[in-house]
Amino acid sequence: MKKGTRAWLAAGAAALVLAAALFLLLRRRPQGFVPELLSRDDGRGGAVAEFIKVKLFFLSETSRYLQPVYREIEMPEAREELYRRFVSLLLVGDGAHIAPVPAGVQLRSLHYLAGRQMLLLDFSESLAGAFPGGTAAELEFIYYMVDNVCYNFREIKKVKFLIGGNESKSLAGHIDLERPFFPDFTWIQEP
Amino acid sequence: MKKSIKAGLLCAVLLAAPLLPAPLGISFRSFDHEGYTRVVFQSDRAFAYSVDVQEDRLQLRLNGRADFPAPAVAVANSLLLEKVTCEQRDEGSVLTVHFRGAAAVRKSFVLEKPFRVVFDLVRAEKQAPAPPQAPPEAAKSKAAAEEPAPAPRPRPIETICLDPGHGGEDFGAIGRSKLKEKDVTLKIALKLKKLIESRTGLRVIMTRDKDSEVSLNTRASIANNQLGQMFISIHANSSFRKSAYGSETYFVSLQATDPEALELAQKENQNAEDPGEAIQNDELKMILWNMAQTEHIRESSKLAEAIQNELNQLLGTRDRGVKQAPFRVLMRTAMPAVLIEAVFISNPSEERKLQSDDFLDKIAQAIYNGVSKFIYAYNGSLK
Repeated sequence: MKKGTRAWLAAGAAALVLAAALFLLLRRRPQGFVPELLSRDDGRGGAVAEFIKVKLFFLSETSRYLQPVYREIEMPEAREELYRRFVSLLLVGDGAHIAPVPAGVQLRSLHYLAGRQMLLLDFSESLAGAFPGGTAAELEFIYYMVDNVCYNFREIKKVKFLIGGNESKSLAGHIDLERPFFPDFTWIQEP
Repeated sequence: MKKSIKAGLLCAVLLAAPLLPAPLGISFRSFDHEGYTRVVFQSDRAFAYSVDVQEDRLQLRLNGRADFPAPAVAVANSLLLEKVTCEQRDEGSVLTVHFRGAAAVRKSFVLEKPFRVVFDLVRAEKQAPAPPQAPPEAAKSKAAAEEPAPAPRPRPIETICLDPGHGGEDFGAIGRSKLKEKDVTLKIALKLKKLIESRTGLRVIMTRDKDSEVSLNTRASIANNQLGQMFISIHANSSFRKSAYGSETYFVSLQATDPEALELAQKENQNAEDPGEAIQNDELKMILWNMAQTEHIRESSKLAEAIQNELNQLLGTRDRGVKQAPFRVLMRTAMPAVLIEAVFISNPSEERKLQSDDFLDKIAQAIYNGVSKFIYAYNGSLK
């Protein structure tokens, strides 16, 4: 083999390795992050409150990906209460983005099953009653909840939805809601 | 007879008894599921058997003598089964499952610990398919016993099931100008039915042909019971993003199956005293239904691609691609199955298009083209 050909082959191989490395780096999906723990006093040397900084992802008209927004939650004593406050933020939404949840939906109860690493979210019946329909809307709601929760709290591996305290076959006639859902971080766009 | 002779005979019988083959204790149970009836013959030890299936009955022929609870056992509360009889013949025992009407075997397999011969029966409309090949002798290894029997040989597509989404009190999504998804899907499905029937002569069954409410499970049951070979669910999409537009075609997603639930399913399968009870578990039920579609997932993916390509060409809207999601209605269908989201009824511009009969014709034509191409390739692959 000629010297020049060998050099070209070597250069080609190096380019391929570089392209593969870039591909792997770029396709790496978010695996969740650890919310930052913040402490604040009342400015007069009084009581200290603890907050955690979480990263919420909302829907937007301009992108098919969920967009990140940072929020702080005052740290409660019980972990489940933290989850509850987090889900409440998701229900309230953000003025600049879309929260894919029908108006008036409330979180009835929430349970974390540690042994199964599963969060049970029990929503008011208005979730199904006021749901606008459509496969896209169902998936938007499901992965908005599941991705946000699993992204911010690594211990939660899956989410199961209940409506009015009961299992429900589907939200609006498409997706099987009786199964627990694992996160699909392809919905999320990291900044 | 003298006491000594009697005692001698008794001793001879007692001594000889262990040498004679003991009757094989066999129990029978069955349970109806949506779309099929499962029949199970169970014994505490493996046995050799042959199977004969006719339109009105299934026979399990054993070499030895079977100890069955009664010569005839009525099967209460079964849609498909009438009774089970046990007949002792010179060559062995014959257990016969008598059907109510005609039925066919969709699947048969053997399980171990305890040894079980399982048949899944479906309602047959005309003739039952050819009887499945029974193993020449009882399964010998655990691996062999746990493997399902080979699936029946695929046959050319003759029956298509169309599923217009929603209906009755379930309006589906509603557009800004109050167009209802349930009306649009029915119109498209009826147009598509007409196209398929007039141009191909294939049999088309509908999960609904008027404005009626049909549950998701019933839709799948209709397709399975009518021996559909392709399931096409027709929908119009809706999003929280008003700007969302375009068409997309889905097939079922199995990737999110919970490993914990899979493990549970395996345990239940091995240990359950009564599989009928085990199946009450929702997660297990979900997995079993997933399995119903698993066999067809490759074909479902091809069908979805064929239809999506045609939608892209004919509708001139945005290609949102072929996607996967855990659709309840698709999971339960035992055939290639797709769900089409034609365009977005939540998008005012696309809602206007859905109000036009010409546009609905285009959607029906695109689906028809995709279905035709798929059938052509599928039937060709059988030759």
